[in-house]
Amino acid sequence: MEPKIGVYVCHCGSNIAGTVDVEQVAEYARSLPSVTVARDYKFMCSDPGQDLIKNDIREFGINRVVVASCSPQMHEPTFRHVLQESGLNPYFFEMANIREHCSWVTEDREKATEKAKALVSAAVRRVYYHQALEANEVPINPNTLIVGGGIAGIQAALEIADSEHKVYLVERDPSIGGHMIQLDKTFPTLDCSACILTPKMSLVGAHPYIELMTYSEVEEVSGFIGNFKVKIRKKARYVDEDKCNGCGVCQEKCPWTADSEFDVGLAKRKAIYTPFAQAVPNIPVIDKEHCAYFLKGKCRACEKFCERDAINFEQVDQFVEIEVGNIILTTGYKLFDPTPLTQYGYGRLDNVITSLEFERLVNAAGPTNGEISLKDGTEPKSVAIIHCVGSRDENYHEYCSRVCCMYSMKFAHLVSEHIPEATVYEFYIDIRSAGKGFEEFYNRVLREGTTFFRGRPGEVTNVAETPEEKGKLVVQFEDTLVGRQRRIPVDMVILSCGLEPQQDAEEVARLFSVSRSADGFFLEKHPKLDPVATMTDGIFVAGCCQSPKDIPDTVAQASAAAARVLALISKGKVEIEAATAVIDEEKCSGCRICNLLCPYSAISFVEDKKVSRVNEALCKGCGTCVAACPSSAITQKHFTAEQIMAELEGILV
Amino acid sequence: MRKNSPHTFLEEVASIPGSNKINECIQCGVCSGSCATAAYWEHSPRKIIAMVRADMRDDVLSSNSIWFCVSCYLCTAHCPRDIRPANIMHALESLALKEGYKPPTRSPAMYQSLVDSIKRNGRVHEFGFMFKYYLKTNPLAAIKMLPLAIDLLTHGRMPLMPKKVKGKDEIKAILAKVTAGGSQ
Repeated sequence: MEPKIGVYVCHCGSNIAGTVDVEQVAEYARSLPSVTVARDYKFMCSDPGQDLIKNDIREFGINRVVVASCSPQMHEPTFRHVLQESGLNPYFFEMANIREHCSWVTEDREKATEKAKALVSAAVRRVYYHQALEANEVPINPNTLIVGGGIAGIQAALEIADSEHKVYLVERDPSIGGHMIQLDKTFPTLDCSACILTPKMSLVGAHPYIELMTYSEVEEVSGFIGNFKVKIRKKARYVDEDKCNGCGVCQEKCPWTADSEFDVGLAKRKAIYTPFAQAVPNIPVIDKEHCAYFLKGKCRACEKFCERDAINFEQVDQFVEIEVGNIILTTGYKLFDPTPLTQYGYGRLDNVITSLEFERLVNAAGPTNGEISLKDGTEPKSVAIIHCVGSRDENYHEYCSRVCCMYSMKFAHLVSEHIPEATVYEFYIDIRSAGKGFEEFYNRVLREGTTFFRGRPGEVTNVAETPEEKGKLVVQFEDTLVGRQRRIPVDMVILSCGLEPQQDAEEVARLFSVSRSADGFFLEKHPKLDPVATMTDGIFVAGCCQSPKDIPDTVAQASAAAARVLALISKGKVEIEAATAVIDEEKCSGCRICNLLCPYSAISFVEDKKVSRVNEALCKGCGTCVAACPSSAITQKHFTAEQIMAELEGILV
Repeated sequence: MRKNSPHTFLEEVASIPGSNKINECIQCGVCSGSCATAAYWEHSPRKIIAMVRADMRDDVLSSNSIWFCVSCYLCTAHCPRDIRPANIMHALESLALKEGYKPPTRSPAMYQSLVDSIKRNGRVHEFGFMFKYYLKTNPLAAIKMLPLAIDLLTHGRMPLMPKKVKGKDEIKAILAKVTAGGSQ
């Protein structure tokens, strides 16, 4: 069938037509060989625009289509669908990107038009050589893996499990709960954080469709959407999960202690411990680093007192292999460590604390039973809260951490509630209270008499310049609204630290083949239109591992990720890219270079024929093997040498 | 910076090397909060930046503030936007001098004596530099410094005769180039 090409130049409103002479481009296209029709239109992606193509296919027997418009990232699926509806193979389509690659980046109208012509010419020559391809379908395994048991992981797990599909929830700490379980109250409604989270935690622990794996980490991931194989390391707890009934005698009797991770070092826990009272599962772990038996070879007090015989010092790490169809990453964040900001004295000056430390301090189940107290046990009479520590600062993190303004104001309220006569100062740059009920909360804190100073403090010091400053922490800052440098003596300074990516975010990203944005958080597929998917099909993200966010946004994103997974499970199958690599077995010398290079492990070696073969379901069409093959035995469908050379020639003529 | 905007004081300051990030200031005030001398400034360093942006050319160049920067660079170390306020203050000093504003401090005499000393010897000769400074400003004030000067002299900390460096001509050439570039 002789190719008859239709070319459609889109105005995209003024996005393209504002810079490119679209009529001239269409006219130029008409002069190209094999082009039957060439038109320009305001919005090719609109229904009338699509109908234009359909009509031409009917009327003029067009059998190849070129649309010169935006990035194929946006509308390639739209136009492929148009071809399909008109009875053509969707791969007889090529898109010339004259927006992102041309009109948006070129100011000169003439040059932009010339470039648009070159891109159209390339697409026309290329589409001439396109071949019909059939998309492959693969089944979706209905099981789901969720990595990280904070509020995001808990929410997503419950949403999916409630539809009676199996969820594996993997958490590296001994209990689920994440950061949210450490918080005291939640802004702006002041619900008790643990009170609203623990019911969900119990549901997860008891859910027939959730297999909870705490104290476990993902070691290996292979496969592709619908068919992932995952290897999980269950770290040795030294406690038999089936025998333990969580009575807690072991923790009572254990004579050895260590800093409590849950109380961020403000309290001690035993060497055998559950991190907090409502832990799920309520099964302790032995911390090898601090256990007398592991350190010195004797003690075993826990073992002696355990009535269920559940202590097992011989336990070793176990590996579990599971198969899942989709994966949701909910690995959370790490609080910024303010030690490098030496001017604020964290770690050097007593009573300079981080926000998470204050959360524990003010919590009724915390180390002080909810008494806000200084290091010497007395109550602070004045508290300074410094915003944006580690955030909005090019030296640390350029981004705004989004939650600090609100939690800082929550702290002001909590101080007033616990110590009504105390003075609270908020040192802010801008108050960011965009959210439902947030601005109202700001007003409430203002009404309560909190003093707001606009200015990022330059220093926190214990060097007194006046008698009033003696024995106090002094915050030196500029009250920028007055334009005066001031010094305010206080008893306690809370540093409102920002949120940053987990320490091992890079390794986790590599493990799951997801990308990270410049700030280090996991990169979503599209910042507006696809904020839960990633570039790797079948892998989704939710919560603070994607960007700093508050609890309502985290829950919404986790539910969205769950909905995406459920849609795939419910359809039961997924179409995967047809543009895969194929190996010509006649030419293949069996050198196996491609086997080692393939980043998706999609190429295997056929022993009896001594040639390599591509698994089309695994192949992502990245082209690495094609470039590496010394015998040119590998061709990438839709990116054949013929097609690429034609495209290059089209640009150069 | 936006194209086609009128030539403003802000643009002028931003075009001085080292002051180019002034547009990115978020007025957080950490510079003024960190500043060792801001308590004595007519306008704080943050406010000076705001005033530059508000095109308050005369108010800025005639104010005592820009001359009070002692170059401790704490503002620059703490600045979350890498604005380098100390550089901006020095750029403004330079501009004020060029435009004939009478500085309210003796800082220019100090700077000039220092530069002269470097031009002459390739390095600072403390005795000559201070001598010149007091001659230019208030010779009588030098009497108060005598005990310190004698102390330094007897301990060999302030030689009477200058030590010159080897590549003096090269240093002169560098200084000439810097001066031609617009700042002193």
